[in-house]
Amino acid sequence: MRLYEFEGKRLFEKYGIPVPKSVLLEKSGKVSGIKLPVVLKAQVLSGERKSAGGILFPKNKSELSHGLKKLFAAHIRGEPVQKILVEGRISASREYYLSLSYDTDTRGPVLAFSSRGGSRIAIALKANVAPLDILLGAKPFLIREALSKGKVPSEDINGLAKVIINLWKLFVSEYALVAEINPLFRTPSGEFIAGDAKVILDDEKLNPGERRFIELGGDIAILASGGGASLLNIDALLQYKGKPANYTEYSGNPPADVVKALTQRVLGRPGLKGAWVIGGTANFTDIYETLKGFIEGLRQVKPKPAYPIVIRRDGPNQEKAFAMLREVAKKEGYDFHLFNSKTSMAESAKLMVKYAYHDKIKIQTANIKMKE
Amino acid sequence: MSILVDKKTRVLIQGITGHEGARACNEMLSYGTKVLAGVTPGKGGQKISGVPVYDTVRQALAKHRSINTSLIAVPAAAVKDAAMEAIFAGIPLVNILAEHVPTLDCAEIVARARAKGTILVGPSSVGVISPKEKVKIGSIGSSLVRNVFTPGSVGVVSKSGGMTAEIAVTLTNAGIGQSTVLGIGGDQIIGFDFVDALKLFGKDPETKAVILFGEVGGTYEEQAAEFIRKEKFKKPVVAVVAGKFTARLPQGTVLGHAGAIVAKGKGGYDSKVRAFKKAGVPVAATLDEIPWLLRQLLRGRMK
Repeated sequence: MRLYEFEGKRLFEKYGIPVPKSVLLEKSGKVSGIKLPVVLKAQVLSGERKSAGGILFPKNKSELSHGLKKLFAAHIRGEPVQKILVEGRISASREYYLSLSYDTDTRGPVLAFSSRGGSRIAIALKANVAPLDILLGAKPFLIREALSKGKVPSEDINGLAKVIINLWKLFVSEYALVAEINPLFRTPSGEFIAGDAKVILDDEKLNPGERRFIELGGDIAILASGGGASLLNIDALLQYKGKPANYTEYSGNPPADVVKALTQRVLGRPGLKGAWVIGGTANFTDIYETLKGFIEGLRQVKPKPAYPIVIRRDGPNQEKAFAMLREVAKKEGYDFHLFNSKTSMAESAKLMVKYAYHDKIKIQTANIKMKE
Repeated sequence: MSILVDKKTRVLIQGITGHEGARACNEMLSYGTKVLAGVTPGKGGQKISGVPVYDTVRQALAKHRSINTSLIAVPAAAVKDAAMEAIFAGIPLVNILAEHVPTLDCAEIVARARAKGTILVGPSSVGVISPKEKVKIGSIGSSLVRNVFTPGSVGVVSKSGGMTAEIAVTLTNAGIGQSTVLGIGGDQIIGFDFVDALKLFGKDPETKAVILFGEVGGTYEEQAAEFIRKEKFKKPVVAVVAGKFTARLPQGTVLGHAGAIVAKGKGGYDSKVRAFKKAGVPVAATLDEIPWLLRQLLRGRMK
């Protein structure tokens, strides 16, 4: 879960990382308790807010009230602005970039830092990267060694190390995947103040088992089973010129009610031309249980789907599941096309595209094709 | 021969009294795997399908000295502790079946396993199966699905658990058997990656070729390609990289597996495919292409 800047900064404060004086405004509201000069920062999740017009530097009171109105009416990369963080401006003699994240090369946490702020991507590219030993933790001497190797000036080493140690405490205690400060201001008097906060917390800790869902804008609804299969099959559908409506995935032998809820969400969308229930041969997922959940969800979808539904599944209880589907199609009039693993996943993608876009389907009579 | 598991595999199941643990226990026993003991703290003295349950790993090891593998099937929140228990007890191979283990815990377990010289497969590993040796650990190839894994000479290593069986189906339908098939998990931090698998497959006389199933996110695929190129890996390799379409999603988007994080540049689809091409590894666009690509490579090899 990605946090808003103001949420990230609250965590910074909790862990002893100084942040600028600020006021959080929610849909209008007046600025009080903070003096000009200030910076107005739209609280949205997309990166590169500055270039998208989400950060303003008013010079006087009238620019301030104008700026607030403008930002509250704005959409930053499609995201409406609900909150604005008004912060006192910091005059900095230097700026740093700091981040803690995980790295698959070292299979552990890494510290990245560089002098000078700037755009996220540009800074990250030239940053010094130092792997951290998770068993040892971020020991001050290790951090100082890394900083000195990265040519950080002597007068900044202790202050910077202190910020990094505190950021590390946040990183491990809050189960963060990313904790980044860009820019980190260094004031002329030698203080370090976090100018921004990018914190991503681990969903596996916060909301384990949450189903990921992404809109893809097409007209073929997809219920995919398995993390790998879901990716590979969207690739296959696109290869055959199909237009996926969504990305979602359920796996790990999901109970019927999870599949039911997901089916309602995915198949209940307007403008669909087809639905594709797709998965590889399951090692242990009960196919009957899964498809029972699918049928329960399907029955709730209004209006009743008239579009073709291609189901390609195999694994434990597949035959029993297909017998049930055939029965339902006959009695309730759904346009099911059922395939087991004799038809490859890619082959079923091709058929899905054919049925959705190229075949005239008769809605009144159930059209059940089998290839087993 | 095979990698990681063979006739000498003697298994302990941590979390044996839970739903996943009991199921894995039954499936493994009926496949032919020797499951000697289970551990569930507080349930010592019970039996699951005839397998004795102990309170601690050390207790189980004292009674069953030949245990050399632990399958961890406890809930995600208990994985770190269970894995540490197995690692500190000195079990040489630990396979974590559990999914949804927080990244911090994964990193800690992996670091501890490295420090102790433990081979750690997972988390989120569907298991390891050797169709010829008739041994499997984990959920891989359960119940009727076991028949899709047939003995042969192709090693399969996959980030996706589901795709292990599907690739086996594809190979078996084409008349190609498998030496060992394993799921390494799709988490960001994993204990056993493609390179680890390639090193073992390289030494396994039974394995004549290797299939890698990867996906976007992280750099395990790039590392595998580098390894193949730099070490001049002798056996033919065919790769699959899932998630081409993710190039149009915002950076940082997380997909099905926790490690499938959309990245521009390194970690992205193009980076992985480029790395494999550079290493001379063909990338199959669909699983259907695998048998054909494999035959091409093996034919070239025989000339």
